[in-house]
Parts: sequence; structure tokens; C-alpha cells
Amino acid sequence: MNTGLDNLDILELDRRTFLKAVGMLGASAFLGNYGTQIARALKVAETKVVWLNGAACTGCSMSFINSAHPDVVQAITELNVNIGYMETLSPQQGIFVDGAPAGTSELNSELKIEELVREGGYILVVEGAVPFGGSGRYLTIAGKPFKDILKQVAGKASAVVAMGACSSFGGVPSARSDIRKDTDYRGLLFTGTEKKGAFSELGIDKPVINLAGCPPNPEFGLITLGALILGKITPADLPDILDRYNRPTVFFPPDHTIHENCPRRGYYDKGQLDTEFSGEHCLRKLGCKGPYTHSDCATRRWNNALSMCTKAGSPCIGCMEPGFPDSFSPFYRESEGVGILLGADANTIAKVAIGAAAVGVGAHAVRRVMVSMKKHDAEPEKAEEAQE
Amino acid sequence: MTTITIDPLTRIEGHLRITAEVDERGIVKSARSSGTLFRGIERIAQGRDPRDMARIASRICGVCPTCHSIASVSAQDDLFGVASSVPRDALVMRNILQGLNWVASHATHIYVLFAPDLANPGYRKVLESRNLGSVWKELAGRFAPISYAIEGQPVPPGSSYLAAIPARRKLHEAMAVLGGKMPDQMAAIVGGVTYRPTAADITKVASYWIDTAGFVNDYVLPGSKGVDLDTWLSLTHDGVSPEKAVENLLGYMGGLSLNDLSREAGWSDAVLFAAFGSELVGEKLLSLPASLKLDRLGGYGDASKIGFLSYGVFYNAEKDGFDPTSPAGERFLSSGFTSGDLKREAFDHMKVTEHVAHSFYTSGSDLHPWDGATEPVKAGSDIGFEGDKYSWLKAARYRGIPSEVGPLARMINNKEPLVMGLAAAFAKNGYSPANVYTRMLARMQETLIVARELKKWVTEDLDPAGRYAVPTDLWMAKSGKGVGLWEGPRGALGHWLSTGGDSMIRNYQAVVPTTWNAGPRDGSSVPGPIEQALSGSAISAAGNALGADNANPVGILHVARSYDPCLACAVHTIDMNATQRSFLVVGGL
Repeated sequence: MNTGLDNLDILELDRRTFLKAVGMLGASAFLGNYGTQIARALKVAETKVVWLNGAACTGCSMSFINSAHPDVVQAITELNVNIGYMETLSPQQGIFVDGAPAGTSELNSELKIEELVREGGYILVVEGAVPFGGSGRYLTIAGKPFKDILKQVAGKASAVVAMGACSSFGGVPSARSDIRKDTDYRGLLFTGTEKKGAFSELGIDKPVINLAGCPPNPEFGLITLGALILGKITPADLPDILDRYNRPTVFFPPDHTIHENCPRRGYYDKGQLDTEFSGEHCLRKLGCKGPYTHSDCATRRWNNALSMCTKAGSPCIGCMEPGFPDSFSPFYRESEGVGILLGADANTIAKVAIGAAAVGVGAHAVRRVMVSMKKHDAEPEKAEEAQE
Repeated sequence: MTTITIDPLTRIEGHLRITAEVDERGIVKSARSSGTLFRGIERIAQGRDPRDMARIASRICGVCPTCHSIASVSAQDDLFGVASSVPRDALVMRNILQGLNWVASHATHIYVLFAPDLANPGYRKVLESRNLGSVWKELAGRFAPISYAIEGQPVPPGSSYLAAIPARRKLHEAMAVLGGKMPDQMAAIVGGVTYRPTAADITKVASYWIDTAGFVNDYVLPGSKGVDLDTWLSLTHDGVSPEKAVENLLGYMGGLSLNDLSREAGWSDAVLFAAFGSELVGEKLLSLPASLKLDRLGGYGDASKIGFLSYGVFYNAEKDGFDPTSPAGERFLSSGFTSGDLKREAFDHMKVTEHVAHSFYTSGSDLHPWDGATEPVKAGSDIGFEGDKYSWLKAARYRGIPSEVGPLARMINNKEPLVMGLAAAFAKNGYSPANVYTRMLARMQETLIVARELKKWVTEDLDPAGRYAVPTDLWMAKSGKGVGLWEGPRGALGHWLSTGGDSMIRNYQAVVPTTWNAGPRDGSSVPGPIEQALSGSAISAAGNALGADNANPVGILHVARSYDPCLACAVHTIDMNATQRSFLVVGGL
């Protein structure tokens, strides 16, 4: 069996050397430097991971198990990532006989979750949004509203990771519709760009790391879990490593967009802009949101670093940003003015960038605007986080 | 009577609840299947640029996003009036994207979601009591999942399970080469695809195909014994009669020794399952001392209340353009409807209706998706599982008949020799031709058929100098409608949409595989396919061979999981109010 042991260099470091090397790094440097070479970090610690699925499409789970270096099998079998519970993979299911949980936690998820909650101290990963409409019964598991299960499990978690757009910001289930108020879907801390999430409603006071994206790059998940398992990220570190939407800045750089490292960037600079699909030039006129999307897609790339959306001729649709999909819809029309991207929060970098582009100042001016915004925002951002 | 409830049914996509009334012998008397999540994606579609749905519909399901994306762009091709001119090369590319996701999705289901139940502790007891501890050793050694323990003893993940995860990952990587990323490839778009592959891309995808074939030949099939992908299909599929296909399979298995059940000795995963999974094949035809009796599970008791439905999938791609109504023969795997007594007829999507009598919606029932009108209940107190209404799924019917969709239905509608041969043998011997065993073998056989065709699409049909899109413009979608008929790995998938004078979506409807399979009772209180298949099934290992164990109802798990349920797909649905609908205004149907 090929487990893709591509991290031999780091695996072969002896434990003490490794811990020393890791110990010298702060949380931010750890995330940045260790990248996918997280293997050794995972090997020296054992913390359980509990993965809950809310209103999800399971795309985040599917993306997570696309991890390549280390691959998820390697992470689990050789590196002690202990998946205590994950609906998509676990041997358990809920089993009730005449209404009462039956058997043992080896086969029964109800008992397994009880056991995990009793022990506490796990890392909670949440995939999917949380409905509050219909008394929360638009999603029930084991007959209970998902929000109640979330409250129970989050209460005893040592750290919480929102995996993907839905648990970070509400995502597709919270998108614009005439029944949005009835379903009332929320992310954990945010709904869109608003800090009005499930946790505040449920009285849960826990920091959350938002791994945005629809779905997120699998590396976001493994690197972040690795850092948490090793204790490299503590609550005190969060203000330094997260942006205002609680996304790790190493994956979602506040002062860079996909556009800057886009494989088609050269065509933009030469003014060669495609107006039909399946061409090879810049996708700006086909609606690309790369200039307004803060993520490392263009450098990290996808699926074992093979490709990314714009490389395959698809305009970026901004799935890494809060407010996806509404803030970036329509996907396939050129962003001509601020109005198109008007969301709830007038301060998003995306909108300022769009505004700059709309008056024709071009990408370099956009960059300048963003940089100046960043300076401008530095104070309020700190203040916001201090309130948490 | 005892009530056994499975909630959540894990190792599927999404949130499914099964409630079974079980008698004192451990046989299910009646069952209810409930989808327990509602998202409302069709409402979210309203008012949007129709082209956005190529991406948003993809988010209906993260396990099978590609089929939703392609069903959506097929409907858009129809809406924009370009279905007859989508370039052949683009159709080939869509086929490849779908085919790669197909094999990945089936591999995920077989190895990661379904097969872990073959390592259920119930089978250890049964097999060891029949002196078949060696079979148990193979089942647990190959198929055990992660984080597994039996009676306090950790069981390491199985060898096949561990090999399948990177194999499916590589298929996603191959898709990323052509579609940017996976899940949620980005290439399928109205009028074609966004990307013209380079010669280097084609080489790369071909190389991934070779990796996949390696997994198939090393794990699924006994490649080391000379029965590789091509040989297997020549023995069981290509131009052979159903009788001959079964005879060839039995002939191969009959020649193997019970003293060495390893893969190296020829007992590949498919062979091990084919021999020990079935009472008829294993115990009666091969004279094995015991089997898992999966052919006794998940059958249908009344052939008049079930059918097998396929919309057809993979464009023929011999020329530009395709027929959006998917008539018989139009797709590589054809559309069709076969009744419970195995009589086949042509497919007509106008015979599809949906009932909401037992679903959490408050309006009209038994309506074609184009005429439906549905409102979800609003109060939490109306959302429970004991009352008349007990699911977020609607009940889809074809000519009023509950219909199984998925690999078994496709293989039946395409008269696939191995599956037809097995089905006939089961029918002749008093078994339901559809059961957990045939359902799983059909999935496996289809995986192999599609995998082989993929090689042709990639290495012979994909043209780096080809045309990959026809130009479209939003005005072409003004006041129109479109239908996209396709299949997901899990079964028949249809997207219907209509637009207003501003070209924006007025209505969007998706009727999806799990709505067919896992839906509740209809207006006449006839249960859905999974509900029917549970009735009469034994709840515990090998037909309750060692008695019924309520706390380990692996029989129920097998039946439900054999359909590869995908609940996020099935419960995204909500229709518009009748007054807002524009299909009637658009007319023509």
C-alpha cells in the first residue's frame, strides 16, 4: 500500500529535536512554516477530534479526506489523529430500542458522544450551518434539534474549528431567499459578515477558528488540527493569527488576494481578457472574483497542489469569503460596480477593492487601497477581538 | 413488537432516521424512513442568474457534486437553446468529470461507507460458529473502519479500507486537473466547459487512470490471478448471456481453495463478497458452509409496488449536441423504467410526480415537479417522526409506482448480463431479484464498466485541439425553461428550471436519487423503496442465524446503506407557491 510517506525528513527527526524546533515557534510561525509537514507534530500528541455534521453537504468531509501530505490515512494510522466521532466515517450509529439507547459505545453513537462529552477536552470540528427556525427542528439528530447537540458537545471542547463556509458564515443554507427568516441558518460565530452566530444565541463562549471555503482546502484542516493537537495554538494566540472573521491569516492573507498569484495574471497585465469560456486568458470579464478574494488558493493550490479554479478557466466565485454566495453572485458577470457586491458590512476589503476597480484605477491601486485599509482597520480590529 | 430506531444512520451522506417495528423473531414488520434536515436550496435559487446554479447546485451534495453541476448545466443548455450545439469535446469532458466522480463515489460507498458493516461483530460469532474464522479474519482485516473496537479490543482499519481512501483521493486529483478542484469541480458551464485540456493534462489524467486500474486489479479483482479489469468484463459483461456471465463467475469461484482466503490466492474483495455474501450463491451453488445471507435482505415483497428507474447518464458524445429529454439509447447508460416483474418500458419524465401527504409540507400532492406547490411546516411542534407526516423527503413516484434508482436500476434497465443473470437466478429460487447483495454487486459491476469507458474517453476521445464551449449570453435565457436529466452515482437525477423576462430564475426544481429511494409513504400510503425493502428483513447477522440482537441491528443498517443514501440531496427541496410559478405561463408542456 502506498501511504504517500513524503514527509520522511520531518518524520525522521528524533522526537526531542522536533519538539525543540517546534517549541521555538510561535503559533503564527508554526502555521506558516510547518505547513503540511505537520506529520511529526501529530505523532507526538493524542487529542481526540469530534466532528459534528450540521446542515451540511458533506463536501468539507470529502475535501478533508483528500489531504495528500500527510494523507488522512497516514494522519490517522501513523500519526495518532484520533477521530473520536465523525458521522461520515465512524463505526457507530444511533441505536434506540423502544426509545432507549441500546448496546455500547462501540456501535452506538449516542453512547459514544455521551462518553466523549464526559471525558471532555476534545477538539470539536463543526461542518454545516445551524438552523434556529422551527425551534431548531429543521435539523434533528436522534430526535433532538442540532443546536442542542451542538451546545452539549461544544461546552466540553478544548477548541472549536468551523470547517467550511456553512459553519463559519452560514454558507449556502443561509443564502438569500424568501424563507431565510423561517429557516434562520447561522454559522457558529458569524452569519455572513455579521457577528450574529449560533454560539451567542446558545450562550457558548468559546473562540472559533473559521476555516472558510466551500469547501476549505484539506490542508487548512490538517494543519490547524495539527497545531491544536500539539497545543501550538492557545486562545491567547488567536488575535495574532486570525483576521476579523476569525480566519487564520496564513491561509486567508488580509493583504493579498488570489489575483496576485493567479496563473492567468500575466494576461491581465497585458490586457488580454477572455470574453468566452474555454479560452486561456484572464477571466476578469467573465466575472472572476479573484481580485476580491483573500485566500492562498493560487499558491497552495488544490488537490495535492495540482490546480485551482482559475487555472481550469473558471472564474473565482469568492467561496473563501464571508457572505458567499450572495456577496459574489452573479458569479459570471463582470463586477462593474460596488453595488454588485454590496453586502451587510460596508467595511469589507472586497467591496473597497471592487469600488477601486470600478472607477478604473486597476489592480495596483486596488492593492494600495487594501494596504491602506489594513492600516486604517488595525485599531478597530484589535478592539473587536478584545471584546471576545 | 419492538421499535428499533436508527438515528443518525451514519456512514451515508446526510441525516437519515429509520424506525422499524420488529417482531419477536427479529423480523421487520414495517418501517419508516425520515429525512431529518431541511435547507431550502431551491428557494435560494429563485431570483438568481441561472448560470450561478452550476455552482450552487453542486453544493446540494459534496459527495456527488459533479452530477448536480452537470444536471444543472444540461438544463441550462436546454434553457439557453444550445443543447443541440454543445461541442462534442465538451460532452466528452463532462463525461470524464462525471466518470471520475462516479468511480470515486462508488469506491467511497463500497469501501468507506458500506463494507465496514461486513466487519460487524455479529458476523464474527456466526462465522466462528461455522468454523469459518478464516472468513471473519479476511472481513475484519480488509474492511474494518477507523476508530473501531470490538468488546474493548481495538480493531485496526482494514487493508482495503486504507487503500481505498488514497485511491478515491487520486480520482479527485484527476478531476482537479480538468476541473480546477474537487469537491465542487468548476469546469461544467452552460454551453460546454470552461477548460480546454492540454496534452500534458491528458497524460496526467491517463496516469491517474492507471493508478485506479492498479487499485481495481490489486484489491477489487483478482488481477494477480489473471482476472484483471478487461478479463473480468469479458467473462461477465461483454457479449455474454446472463446465464453465461453467472456461470463464468461461479466457475472462477469454484476453482478457489478454502484453505487460503487471501487476495493473493484469488479471493479478491469482489470475489470474497460474491461468494460469502449470498446464501444462494455461496451456500447453495458453491456449497460453502455459511454465508452472510445478504440476498435475504432488502428485497421487495410485492412486485406490483416497485419499479426500477433510470434517466440515463453519460452523453453518447459521437457528435455535437444532445437530447435533453434523454430518450432510450441517447446515453452510454440508457434511460428506462423496468417494472417489479422485470418488464421494461421507455422512460418519459412527464410520468414523474411527487407526493407530500407524509412529508413536512403543507400543500398539493401527486404533482409533476413542474406543477408542484409546497410549503414547509413552520412550527417546531409540527416536525416529529411519530405522526402522519414524518419526513423532509417527498415521495417520488413514476406512473404512481415507487421506484428504486441507482446502480441496480441502471444495470437492470441496461440489461447488464451479470446483474440480470443473478437477478434471474434469485427470482427462480424464490428470492427477491433486488436485494442487498445484487444492489452491491450491481454497484461494483457498474464501477468497472464506467472505469473502462473512462479510459476510452480520456485516451481516445479527449482532444487538446477541440472546441469546448459555444458562446452564450444571458438574454438567451429570457422567459424560458429547461430540463436536465442525468444520473448521480446514487441514481436518477433531474433538474428543472424556468426564467422570467429578466432571465433570472423563477423556479428551480431538483428531484434527486435519495428522494426516490428513501422517500416516505405516498398519498395511497404505499411505502417508499427503502421502507418496503426493510419489511421482512432480519435485523441481525446472517438472517438472525444466532438469534435477534436488538442492540446490533446490522440487517437494518445493510438494507438502508445498500442504497447509498444521500440526504443532503434529497432534502434540499422546496417548491414555489403556485401563484409564483411560471411554467404554466411559459407553456408548451
